[in-house]
Amino acid sequence: MLQTGIFEERDKWGREIMLSAGLHTLLAIVAIIMGIFGGPHGENWGGSTSGEAVQANLVSAVPLPAPQQPTQNIVATENKGLTQSVPQQAEEQPDAVPIPDKQVKKRPDRTPITQNIKPPQPVTPPKDNVVPYGEGGPISGPYGTFTTTHTKGGFNFQGAGDFGSRFAWYVQTVNRKVSDNWYTVEVNPSAQGHRVYLIFDILKDGSPANVQIEQSSGIPALDQSAVNALKRIDTFGPLPPGYSGNKVSVEFWFDYQK
Amino acid sequence: MLRALLGKSALFVFLLVVLLGQALAQDWIRTGTNRGAPVRLAVPDFKAATTEPQTAPLNTTFNQTLWNDLDNSGIFEMVAKSFYPLQNPGSPNEVKLDAWGNPPPNASMLAFGNLGVTNGKLAVQGWLFDAKNTASPQVLGKQYQEAATNDNARLIAHRFADEIIFRLGGGIPGIAESRIFYISSRNGHKEVWVMDYDGAGQQQLTHLNSIALSPRISPDNSRVAFSGLSNDSWQILMYSMDLGRLVSFQRFPGGNYSPAWSSDGTKLAFSSSMRSGDPEIFTVDATGANPKRLTSFKGSDVSPVWNPKTNGQIAWVSGRNGLPQIFLMDADGSNVQQITSEGYAVSPSWSPNGLLLTFAWRRHYGPGAPGGQDIYIMNIATHEFVQLTHDAGVNDFPSWSPDGRHIVFQSTRTGSEQIWTMLADGTHQQQLTRDGKNSMPNWSVK
Repeated sequence: MLQTGIFEERDKWGREIMLSAGLHTLLAIVAIIMGIFGGPHGENWGGSTSGEAVQANLVSAVPLPAPQQPTQNIVATENKGLTQSVPQQAEEQPDAVPIPDKQVKKRPDRTPITQNIKPPQPVTPPKDNVVPYGEGGPISGPYGTFTTTHTKGGFNFQGAGDFGSRFAWYVQTVNRKVSDNWYTVEVNPSAQGHRVYLIFDILKDGSPANVQIEQSSGIPALDQSAVNALKRIDTFGPLPPGYSGNKVSVEFWFDYQK
Repeated sequence: MLRALLGKSALFVFLLVVLLGQALAQDWIRTGTNRGAPVRLAVPDFKAATTEPQTAPLNTTFNQTLWNDLDNSGIFEMVAKSFYPLQNPGSPNEVKLDAWGNPPPNASMLAFGNLGVTNGKLAVQGWLFDAKNTASPQVLGKQYQEAATNDNARLIAHRFADEIIFRLGGGIPGIAESRIFYISSRNGHKEVWVMDYDGAGQQQLTHLNSIALSPRISPDNSRVAFSGLSNDSWQILMYSMDLGRLVSFQRFPGGNYSPAWSSDGTKLAFSSSMRSGDPEIFTVDATGANPKRLTSFKGSDVSPVWNPKTNGQIAWVSGRNGLPQIFLMDADGSNVQQITSEGYAVSPSWSPNGLLLTFAWRRHYGPGAPGGQDIYIMNIATHEFVQLTHDAGVNDFPSWSPDGRHIVFQSTRTGSEQIWTMLADGTHQQQLTRDGKNSMPNWSVK
């Protein structure tokens, strides 16, 4: 009795399963087709070549926001460059001939409403230490940099990545200086054959910053000796005068050999 | 492939700058430790740019000075001139980089240029090229113009050498324009003298006609403090480099010796017996006001030096335990610790980075004791020490150079007291003075 009941239930499921299997197969086929003809291919995810599509020149087209406040420390640079933002010019609407069809669906002009909502702004007199608009040179200082989700650096990147070939001598200097300041006596000889990776930045004035262990060697004494080497260094010497960026990032590895 | 390459090139400078899409829109250097040889630098003689009769002698001076400065810096391996190609380049378009970058010269860097005198003006153009980098070889290009004198030829050579050392040494301040103040008795009295760091241009400053000792140049190079016998008492005296004469300074009772400037130039420490008749360490303002006593033990306390990095510590020589030893205290006199505990240790000098002391030490003192008086350096934190001079007369009064890589000292190894320099590892020892007796050198701070 019990068995028959179960048997009947199974019979009922059969159809559903078939339908379900059919749908899944269909989905799988669609997925395969999309995989072949559609979206990005596996090796391009964040890879070295597809990055071209979203690289710096795209980012550099983003207009920099105009500084909200007049810069206070204008005297700090002799350059009369930091300015107030450009006075906004009234945008002239071109005398366009309206298309008769579309004019019916014209959106209501919202500008009067927003103007009414805003309370009257107090008029702030310009600070005396501000260079009047138009009397400055090229902008300098913090506005030479920007930050996006993945990027931080100067916006002048023509041929980004040629630092090593243009300034090979600087790289060698960095190398020598770190090597000279790395005291291998701090390392236990059992660390032989191990390698630790550090990353750090070299700022415009040549000082190292943001020293981090990127990949530990697994031997704390070796890791620490590498960090100590960087701590002993005040400066690598200013970045080459021909280099336009504000800093260079360095990945440095320490190989311990007896 | 990258990993495979890395594996193969262990201990080999491997540099790769990659543009990795948006993640790396800034420049990266990838490199690793390389305990390699120093930079091989080739410096062909500068080319004469004009035919004026003055050009040739000035060019000789310039070339010698430049070569010595770069050689003395201790960061280059100078490529011997016999390996050079026959043609000396005078300007960038005359350089054949592969002739320099490959054996026999096998230079990695090349400094060259030209020098000419026109209408009494000496004009020098100098370049530094990376001989291994044919694509963008120029590291440095400089132009100098001064009145055509021998001193200016040396000055320009010093400046160009300093630029090269600064670039390739990773921010090492050049010392080619620094000077050494010392005591010389070659004219009959012990007077304060000054010379260039390489021993050139020796000139007398003071004319006390009594005795001057332990000159110390102020950090801004404007005044020399020294102890002098004046009206039958030892006083701290002050010589103005700007005015070229003695200027007045506060006089104290008793004997006053061995002044030392703090690195900000606002204070002086010195040894004085003004209160107790026993020499103790005092500090005063740079004007001589507000004397403050730091030590109060029986036994002499002399030769203070400030920690130039912090001005928060003073090292000095104390005889409180018998023979003189080096001690350390905070600048307010607290926290006294003894650095050396054997023999006879005098004349401390603090390295510019504040980590090391150099001093003269006779480690075994007494008749028949082995060893002589030699120059040592000691790590303040660990008390580890290194002996720099060996078996060469009595050595005393070491003083650090502003780049922290050289030490000037006094030695009797030639039979009389003379001034010598060396690299701070004891190599490259060179005699600077030869006339009369010369002692107590002090290297300017810049």
